[in-house]
Amino acid sequence: MLEIQSARKVFYKGQADEKIALNNLDLRLETGEFGVVIGSNGAGKSSMLNAISGALALDSGKIIINGDDVTAMPVHKRAMRLARVFQDPMKGTAASMTVAENMLLAELRAKKRTLRQGLNASRLATYRERLSLLGLGLENRLDTRVELLSGGQRQSLSLIMAVGGAPELLLLDEHTAALDPRTADIVMQATVRAVESLKLTTLMVTHNMQHAVDFGHRVIMLDAGRVHLEISGEEKKTVTVPDLIGHFSVKTDRMLLAS
Amino acid sequence: MDFLQNIIASFISLIPVTLAQSLILAFVVMGIMIPFRMLSFPDLTSEGAFPLGGCVCGVLMAAGMGPLPAILIALLAGFAAGCCTAYIHLRFRIHTLLAGILMMTMLYSVNLRIMGRSNLSVFGAPTVFDWVPLLQPGFPASKIVMAGLFGLVIFAALLHYFRTEKGTAVRAVGANPDMAEAQGINVWLATIGGVGLAGAFSAASGALMVQSQGFADVNMGLGILINGLAALMIGEAIVGKQNVLRQLAAPFVGAVVYYQLVSFCLAAGMPPPDLKLATGLFVLAMLALPNIKRSRGPAPARETVRE
Repeated sequence: MLEIQSARKVFYKGQADEKIALNNLDLRLETGEFGVVIGSNGAGKSSMLNAISGALALDSGKIIINGDDVTAMPVHKRAMRLARVFQDPMKGTAASMTVAENMLLAELRAKKRTLRQGLNASRLATYRERLSLLGLGLENRLDTRVELLSGGQRQSLSLIMAVGGAPELLLLDEHTAALDPRTADIVMQATVRAVESLKLTTLMVTHNMQHAVDFGHRVIMLDAGRVHLEISGEEKKTVTVPDLIGHFSVKTDRMLLAS
Repeated sequence: MDFLQNIIASFISLIPVTLAQSLILAFVVMGIMIPFRMLSFPDLTSEGAFPLGGCVCGVLMAAGMGPLPAILIALLAGFAAGCCTAYIHLRFRIHTLLAGILMMTMLYSVNLRIMGRSNLSVFGAPTVFDWVPLLQPGFPASKIVMAGLFGLVIFAALLHYFRTEKGTAVRAVGANPDMAEAQGINVWLATIGGVGLAGAFSAASGALMVQSQGFADVNMGLGILINGLAALMIGEAIVGKQNVLRQLAAPFVGAVVYYQLVSFCLAAGMPPPDLKLATGLFVLAMLALPNIKRSRGPAPARETVRE
């Protein structure tokens, strides 16, 4: 379970270009729930994800994961509990290291690293098996350096790495946005399979309204640093892309009037 | 023909001495390689850590301490120096290169303070090279055996370490610090420890050098960095850097080949003052080569370093 309690973050405080990124944002995601976050640019989606992962320190408010307050924890400590897939395929993997080494790093995310040999036969066999689920042939390229893979392959690898240890919380940061439609589809299908089979508590940020309609239990729309709208239950099942876009236009109208 | 024979004869006569020297200096090259390649942290501390190790070792030997404890304490001093450079970079967000320059400049004063004067003779004091059985102390053979042995142990230990779970995590910090952090790796600890380790190697090299040459001098590090870099480039050109084994072998191979090359140039009549210019041009050429090649074929991978 994830709880964000009145999270506040202001950039350039007291200066002319002061920007309120998170405006006392409250959000609660139940264990096993799959939330899809939408919102226009600057609505606070990335700030929220960064605040959850620890990359962004809050001015005030709390982040609670499964009952534990992690607000003061640095990124590498929070990594014991959560995994993240970035928008940029380059960001989530170590380019100059091999596929197997990347898998090892992810496997050890929540574990204590020892002075024993990292890659061994049984681990390699496990990685081969897990990568074969993607159907991209990555299982035969364990010794390939990741920089030689395509963007889609790298992002698929990032996903497999993230869901590997069944993290308490999975953060997906527009993770299909940089991919071509076909690859995006493969990665998205793999995401849904993993999230459903492992019942992962997931927060996915997307700009793809079709994805917001098709996947997840709840749509969370952010605006100006807080939750503007939530659609869940029966309503979520019947919501359409035009409905969602309609909510965006409300905001643009207001922006028009305000300007 | 006589001229050529003379050159070759004097070069050959220098091979053992040069080999001994290069095996000792291989540790500096290792101290340059680890931050540069494993952590993407171009570290200049070695220019100060090398004489630091020498000065500490020299003072301790002059005070009557045994050769091995003197080396170990020098090593700790180098470790502390490396840690400082990494900390300056991480804590104050100062560019890695600038942090190194600051550290090596400050170390110059520290080294002078430690010795109390600019050079110190420890000639005749017992050294680790005396321990080699069957060989006469003071001759290159004993130095080659001892330094080679140290090198072998270090090489094996590092090879094992960088393949362990902890070692893989350290390499991830160099490959992609953000990703490493997101995978639960403490980037600060890995960087400080790694650069500290490199400083320790540089200092150990300085300490061995002092025992080998019989004196310590605050200026003994002058240009060691560019020499080490040149040696590393040569080593990587020969054995490659595709995996941990090759990357770790490169400093040793590079040091041996580079110093023989230098020795050959000197034997061939190159004036010693021109040596640094030649070395600098060589490193420049090695770094520039991938860029010049770009007009043909695909763009090369750029050197990515942390800033």
